[in-house]
Amino acid sequence: MAIQVPIKVFRYRPGTAPHFERYQVTVPDDATVIDVIEGVWAEHDRNFMFRHACHHASCGTCAVRLNGYERLPCIVPVTEALAGRQELVVEPLRNFPLVGDLVVDVAGFFQKQAASGLVITRAAEATLSGQPFAHSELFSQAGALEERAYNRFENCIECGICISACPTMAATDKFWGPAALAGIRRATLTTGDCQEKAALLALADSEQGVWRCHSAFECTESCPQDVDPGGAIMSLRREIVGRKVKHLFGAG
Amino acid sequence: MAAPHVIVIGAGSTGAATAHDLALRGLRVTVLERGEIANCTTGRNHCLLHSGGRYCVKDQESAIECIDENLILRRIMPDAMELNGGLFVALNEADLAFREKFIEGCEQCHIPYREVPVKRALEMEPFLNPGLLAAVQVPDGVFEPFRFCLAFLATARHNGAVVRTYTEVTELARAGQFITGVKVLDHRTGKTQEIGADLVVNATGPWAGRIAEMGGVEVPVAPTAGVMVTVDQRLCNLVINRMDKPADGDIVVPQRLTSIIGTTSWAILDPDQIEIPKAHIEKMIQKGRELIPAIQRRVTRGVGAAARPLIRKANTDEREVSRTFECFDHQRDGVDGFVTISGGKTTTARAMAEKAADVVCAKLGQRAECATRTTPLLSYRLFYN
Ligand SMILES: Cc1cc2nc3c(=O)[nH]c(=O)nc-3n(C[C@H](O)[C@H](O)[C@H](O)COP(=O)(O)OP(=O)(O)OC[C@H]3O[C@@H](n4cnc5c(N)ncnc54)[C@H](O)[C@@H]3O)c2cc1C
Ligand code: SF4
Repeated sequence: MAIQVPIKVFRYRPGTAPHFERYQVTVPDDATVIDVIEGVWAEHDRNFMFRHACHHASCGTCAVRLNGYERLPCIVPVTEALAGRQELVVEPLRNFPLVGDLVVDVAGFFQKQAASGLVITRAAEATLSGQPFAHSELFSQAGALEERAYNRFENCIECGICISACPTMAATDKFWGPAALAGIRRATLTTGDCQEKAALLALADSEQGVWRCHSAFECTESCPQDVDPGGAIMSLRREIVGRKVKHLFGAG
Repeated sequence: MAAPHVIVIGAGSTGAATAHDLALRGLRVTVLERGEIANCTTGRNHCLLHSGGRYCVKDQESAIECIDENLILRRIMPDAMELNGGLFVALNEADLAFREKFIEGCEQCHIPYREVPVKRALEMEPFLNPGLLAAVQVPDGVFEPFRFCLAFLATARHNGAVVRTYTEVTELARAGQFITGVKVLDHRTGKTQEIGADLVVNATGPWAGRIAEMGGVEVPVAPTAGVMVTVDQRLCNLVINRMDKPADGDIVVPQRLTSIIGTTSWAILDPDQIEIPKAHIEKMIQKGRELIPAIQRRVTRGVGAAARPLIRKANTDEREVSRTFECFDHQRDGVDGFVTISGGKTTTARAMAEKAADVVCAKLGQRAECATRTTPLLSYRLFYN
């Protein structure tokens, strides 16, 4: 069944005043909010700017503020987003420079993401939905069989939702931010190299690091991928303090 | 003398890889994309780094392209892929009868494979249909399409290419029989602008026909849609394929904590307006469950569709159309300075780019060999540096 969805969207171009515009978009009743956003472009205004790619929460491009909260519109059903409301309200993420309409400039964010050097694949955990799986013989880069752990992509999809939700990011840009710190934390867990680990912890301990966080945990609350950046920041703090204490007593 | 300037229209996998190849050969490159990187077919595909197994019986030309490129991409793009391999599983007598042809196909297409005993397959993949009769492992993989394109474009930018997103080509500029550039609408500013070029490459996938039309030529690209359904559970580590010739709903691709079931195939007219038939979603779940019974409708996380840019041949059934690619030098249609590269797959994007860049360089008198087979790509994140 097709339904009519009223949507109020943020419109903006450099040099003009930001404002909202209202549209009606027709989508199937099992559509998600990204279909409605795309419908604004397809049915009403081919100049409308928004980001999207995968439509299954893997690319991280489509994040917006939906009805006042950071969401990935590709995985929010329209019916859920409309429940108890007259219309959908869609705005760009906060704490990023605006480019146009729903599009924000993610360059600075990705530069920070690069700081940890964390590669986006990691060894898959020893269990899959609770069930153990056997060791693996996989094809190597040259196509020969070799024994190696299964790998998988990191949970963080670099969507920027935690940046938008973070009160510290709202106050200062001089903060690595939740996602990069979560990346630094993951990198400290995966590296076997002591020096590299020390360098990562020094990054986390720097002026832009974990001490800027106000422990609001908005990041953990809003992250669509259960990355728990807030928890990662707390772990980094404990590790940094632990090392300093050890050092103080001459054991470091 | 400044190097010739080439405009590449489209920043899906084809345009991204083409920009990289051309920049590496010393050309000045500008990429024009009407939306976000990978916002169309590439962004919404099945994420399968093909081993070629899927095509090794019916379409060996594609299968060989796939395995060759698979082995190259593993080396040049290590950070945007899960290299876990794939299993082809036989679930009934008909599948079992296909096994011999499948193995023969793997051998003919030099696809590495190994037969996996049923018991072992179930140890590797505990959620697999326990009634399976045979399993063969091949080097399939999983990529992340957006970052796949970013990696090519990061490297292209590093070599001097300019990438402009939200910049839509509205017209091709023409002087006599030559295409001399493009007219664009920059959505960021609302302004139109003319950009001159020594050559224009049309890498717009299922839109290739539209851009070709702007140049007054035709390309036989038939947009053919397909649906993918993502469920919110990772139920396999390897890609699980049905051991049969390609059909609807015969692959489950794991990605992060999800599994993506695909796909279907139907011809469409406008790739901007794909209506997903509800029956296709149900079919994905139902066919997916044959492979992995734990797949459930209630945990559907996302449903997406995209349009393949298939090259139309005399044959009409879209499942039978070869998945290979083609490069059209429109000089043969009486229009010079204009090249279309279409068809193919994301897996074969680098090879498509090589073919297109060979044609472009020959036309522009740029003497440079293709170096993309051995040049490692930069991290996708550096696209934003
Ligand atoms: C359902 C489905 C599943 C698939 N699964 C796989 C798979 O698992 N593995 C695999 O390897 N391949 C797969 N493919 C094939 C693969 O996705 C495509 O072959 C490939 O993505 C095509 O890339 P492209 O760059 O040619 O086209 P696109 O990705 O569509 O890129 C074309 C670009 O051109 C842009 N454009 C269009 N018009 C203009 C204009 N006027 N101005 C500026 N820009 C413009 C568009 O915005 C778009 O970004 C699948 C395809 C489909 C449909
Ligand atoms: S940590 Fe979570 S919210 Fe932040 S960028 Fe990564 S996935 Fe998005």
